Amino acid sequence: MSERQKRENRAGWLFMLPAMVLFITLVIFPVIMSLFLSFTKWNFLSGVSGIKWVGLSNFVKLLTRDRKFSIALANTFIYAVTTAPVSIVLALIFAYMINDKVYLKKFNRMCFFIPYISSMVALSAVFRFLFRSDGPINSVLIHVFHVSVVPEWLTSTSLCKIPIICVMIYAGIGYSLIVYMAALQNVPGELYDAAAVDGAGNVRTFWKITIPLVSPTTFYLSIVRLIAAFKVFTAINVMGMADTAPSIVTQIYTNAFGAYEFGNASAEAWILVFIILVITGIQFLAQKKWVVY
Amino acid sequence: MKREKQGTKVINTIWVTVCGCLFLMPLLWMLSSSVKSGPEVFADDFKWIPEIIRWDNYIKVWTNANAPFWRAMCNSLFVSVVSTLGQLLVSSMAGYALAKIQFKGKHAVFIAMMATMMIPGQATIIPKFILFRTIGLYDTLWSLILPGWFSITSIFLLRQFYMGLPNDLMESAKVDGADHFLIWYRVLMPLTKPVMVTVIVLSFINSWNEYLHALIFLPSNQLYTVSLAIQYWMNMTDEYNLMMTAAASAVIPVIILYLFTQKYFIASIATTGVKG
Repeated sequence: MSERQKRENRAGWLFMLPAMVLFITLVIFPVIMSLFLSFTKWNFLSGVSGIKWVGLSNFVKLLTRDRKFSIALANTFIYAVTTAPVSIVLALIFAYMINDKVYLKKFNRMCFFIPYISSMVALSAVFRFLFRSDGPINSVLIHVFHVSVVPEWLTSTSLCKIPIICVMIYAGIGYSLIVYMAALQNVPGELYDAAAVDGAGNVRTFWKITIPLVSPTTFYLSIVRLIAAFKVFTAINVMGMADTAPSIVTQIYTNAFGAYEFGNASAEAWILVFIILVITGIQFLAQKKWVVY
Repeated sequence: MKREKQGTKVINTIWVTVCGCLFLMPLLWMLSSSVKSGPEVFADDFKWIPEIIRWDNYIKVWTNANAPFWRAMCNSLFVSVVSTLGQLLVSSMAGYALAKIQFKGKHAVFIAMMATMMIPGQATIIPKFILFRTIGLYDTLWSLILPGWFSITSIFLLRQFYMGLPNDLMESAKVDGADHFLIWYRVLMPLTKPVMVTVIVLSFINSWNEYLHALIFLPSNQLYTVSLAIQYWMNMTDEYNLMMTAAASAVIPVIILYLFTQKYFIASIATTGVKG
């Protein structure tokens, strides 16, 4: 090995040192340890000696007999398949409009973007409040729409997902909107001019030109927003719905830091990792079918 | 033709702006409730601006004896600033090495990092909890700061940017006898300002709004971050106006920051969406 190459190696690893120390202690080690714990039964309070190897039984139990976890799993899918598509579609429509079809561009962009950077804890607090049975949403239902029996949004087990879904969509649109606006800037204006010359209307142009041209962005956003939705925790926990409308992460949290069942909670965490990997994999396979480059 | 176009633009502006204002309503409602008295919040004759504006709600929340909001602000500010600076330094060095130094094992490291990118932080929170308990960082602000220093996204963004800088810049510095440290620090790093701004914005927002890690790692009142302080008001009181005061106190600084630096915010978010 040449002297020069040795110097490069030394410099390279020196530059990587801080990142590597953090990567090994805060990523690699925790990943291996949580994978190991997912095959054990361990109550943290029983100390290190309480760790018992149980093989796959945590996973088997969670996927076949644990009712609470299957509810959490189902809820998480509901959150994901509602919030991701709705927020992406709304973001595309408003990005398309705000990009060059309206005045007050900056003001409108701000309206949709501010919730994204606002604290999710604060937003969830506001939404819990809005959806109270005597809160503003129900007052509007009573006074404007003359509904006689108003829904109990927060206490009914079927309706209580709605405030959570609403706050997730509300907080998520801003991100997709900005990404779409950046993508739309790159659509060449000549394409629109050509469409106008051919007599294509606005709606047709939107379907035939805009949507195909931003499809790589749609692909990227659908992965990012689906994964974000699968990790939902804050909205549910702050609204106090970890019992009535649990998600995978609220289950991990309750199991790990309420009951200190670290083995079981780690297995739940790995089911989440598995789902995220599968989604990413599927999206990459499906990408060829509907993304136009 | 032109006039017709302008007409459509006006109509578009009207409905988009109405939707935009609807979008602001929850936040406006939060601000309005934050300066009301308790009974006024749910009063039947709703007013956006109460007759008496109760600024003292803010004084109550900010100077509460158990969990004063000013202390939560200081904690969050400290965590966000130190996390962000650390992340910037660590990512800039790693990004430079991965882009511009030909060292052995580079590809293996890069692939290992990219492979773990999909694993969410929530999945490894239990080992982190055990680790921080063992090394004594549990119940200190460092338990939020240290994880904030490492971000694969930031390393990736910086690496991509360094890759785009021409090698000639380095070669001429090398001829002058500069080593990698000087090249990085003096020649190339100053050129990466646009991405560094992106890293700063994303990291700051992330740590300012962090919730799950704070909830688990910071049980003491003295160490409450703004997220935990809002939750404290939600759990401790039936005074909804004060809850909204706490929520507004966390959101207002971010909005003000946005109004002054929107260009950077927008550019940063857009950068993450453009595939490298």
